[in-house]
Amino acid sequence: MRLEVIFKFLGFILLFNALFLLISFIISAFSGESSVIPLAYSMLICIIFGLFPMIFVGKVEYLSFNEGISIVVYGWLITCVIGSLPYLMWGGEFTLINSWFESVSGFTTTGSSILNDVEKLPKGLLFWRSSTHWIGGLGVIMFVLLILPTSQNPRLTLINTEMSDISRSTFQYRARKTAYVLAMIYAGLTVMETLLLTLAGMGLFDAINHSFATIATGGFSTRNLSIAAYNQLSIEVIIMLFMILSGINFGILFNTVSGKSPNIFNSRIVRAYLFILLAGIVVATTDLYLEGVYSFSQSLRAAAFQVISLGTTTGFATQATEVWPSFTQLILIFFTIQCAMVGSTSGGLKFDRIFIFFKSIVKQVKMMKHPNAVITIKVDNISLDDQRESNVMNFIVLYVITFFITTLILSVFNTDLITAFSASIATLGNVGPGFGQVSSLGNYADLPVFSKLVLTFNMLLGRLEILSIIAFLTIRRKEF
Amino acid sequence: MLILAGTVSIIEFMKLSKDVNALIEDNYKTILAAKSMLEALEREDSGILLLLLGQWDDGRIILDSADNKFMTALDNAGKNITEPREDIYIEKIRESYQIYHSKWQRPIVDTDKQGDINWYEQDMHKSFLEVKSAVNDLMILNQTSMYKEASLLKEKSRRAIMPGIVSIVAALVFSIILNYFITKNFISPLNQMVDAVREVGPGNKVMKTDISSEDELKLLENEINKLINRLS
Repeated sequence: MRLEVIFKFLGFILLFNALFLLISFIISAFSGESSVIPLAYSMLICIIFGLFPMIFVGKVEYLSFNEGISIVVYGWLITCVIGSLPYLMWGGEFTLINSWFESVSGFTTTGSSILNDVEKLPKGLLFWRSSTHWIGGLGVIMFVLLILPTSQNPRLTLINTEMSDISRSTFQYRARKTAYVLAMIYAGLTVMETLLLTLAGMGLFDAINHSFATIATGGFSTRNLSIAAYNQLSIEVIIMLFMILSGINFGILFNTVSGKSPNIFNSRIVRAYLFILLAGIVVATTDLYLEGVYSFSQSLRAAAFQVISLGTTTGFATQATEVWPSFTQLILIFFTIQCAMVGSTSGGLKFDRIFIFFKSIVKQVKMMKHPNAVITIKVDNISLDDQRESNVMNFIVLYVITFFITTLILSVFNTDLITAFSASIATLGNVGPGFGQVSSLGNYADLPVFSKLVLTFNMLLGRLEILSIIAFLTIRRKEF
Repeated sequence: MLILAGTVSIIEFMKLSKDVNALIEDNYKTILAAKSMLEALEREDSGILLLLLGQWDDGRIILDSADNKFMTALDNAGKNITEPREDIYIEKIRESYQIYHSKWQRPIVDTDKQGDINWYEQDMHKSFLEVKSAVNDLMILNQTSMYKEASLLKEKSRRAIMPGIVSIVAALVFSIILNYFITKNFISPLNQMVDAVREVGPGNKVMKTDISSEDELKLLENEINKLINRLS
């Protein structure tokens, strides 16, 4: 494995981060804030470390799978380290572990925070915090693919290691085209949401930050009370709409815009995803209303927002869900486990895998009745071979095992069962808020240091997909 | 980067030094004055008790000296107004002290007040507590402000130190990566060349290395090969 090539690609990643640090620095400098030096310094480190490998390494003509996966995993790790520097240098509630937690939570678009008082942060730092969502939403590797001055092979290797196989199947373009399609949809949705939120009366700065967090399905807000701070229906409706759009496969969104199939109007998996969200809203609304928590209209408004927020792994909040009836809380936990669609900006298990899982059960039943039948699982007319089907099943099993182990570890540190269970699943699914101590309007500040470290590992596992990390760990033993 | 970090740290520490001085000047002086006022009040209370027992001379001496101390401290606090609404706090002390002062300034010895513990409890001590409470309020105002300032200073000192720590770690990582590139690009090819030259002999007239770069090292390899050809 060629380390110098890995350094070169990591350099591109650092330079991309430096761009957003520069914007945050400008905001901070104009506002005359205390975050000027931390942001300037972090930017300088990114530029120095980003530029100097380019002096030694020429054009890269090819990348091996091992090099590709190392770039992806190290890329995410180094991005998270760099992302934590402005927090660490600024101080306040940011200790070393808290800075790392906030950075990983931002880049993996989890949206869990250790901050008790978000509103105390300077604007520059708030913008950087939201930027980590926006960079991480599409994936820093994907952004780098857009600007990478290299040949087709390295791009293809990187895109194959960054995207899961079922996610890639909806993108039948060359690597660079795929990256462009994703970036166009991503930027387009962000601009549209910012405009609509501004029109609805949200300040431009808050609108940009909330758009970054929505489209990346992150969940960091600039307010302590998240979206509840605005208490405005129009803002909630806009955010709900864009949360749903961000939870849908970007390839399908692109097909919709360019008049191809499958699109959001004829895709069976999109219909199934929207149907499940709708069913969740109906059940949660009914339970909240019948339990007398809110009036009917308030129940509908609160249930719709929370179901969509958790069902798309965003994690914004308009209500304190820890006081909701247990049944509704279980519905929300189901959506925390399910996550959004592949090819979207969300992490975690993903709806498509659950869809394939149920189709696979139906297939098994049919096979029992007709042992000689040849039955193929299809998702939007794309046939899944046995290998892919088996990959999905393995992934689900690995996901459950990981979730179980992390719940167990958190419980060892005297964390109550509800908190341990929901924090594990909320971080592994990159959702953000859980229940108990880490509820929708709460935070992760009071968890023990080791628990925070375990949860950050969970977030990275959820974002990078568990198999990629295992593949990375196995190549390390052989080749380094 | 280390120079920059050092410069940033020096500037921040200079600011920090100014802030610490300001903290001492602004709040600590008033806190000392308030403490002095409280001590004087306690002395005055002792003086009043002596008057109540009929000890005119001892009581008056203590009262006059404590009064002097109280007024000096109050003047010092009045000249060091640094917090919003602090002047209102000072005025409140002045007003409550005037009432208190007027009560013990009138004769107590050889009047019906001498030995009257009820009068002391219900009238004199009540005024004493009012003055004490006003002084305490002033002290709390300055202590709270001092705590806030100290917390800010703690943050500032961290911001002064952190660039230095981050720079040292970054410099270490940078030197490791630079070392890798230098070894990979210069030292390793030179070692290869040394090994290849050693292998040149009667049966091997060509020096072979794995150098693929088109730089000075490749040129040197070519020139050594030409030299071997010329010598053989």
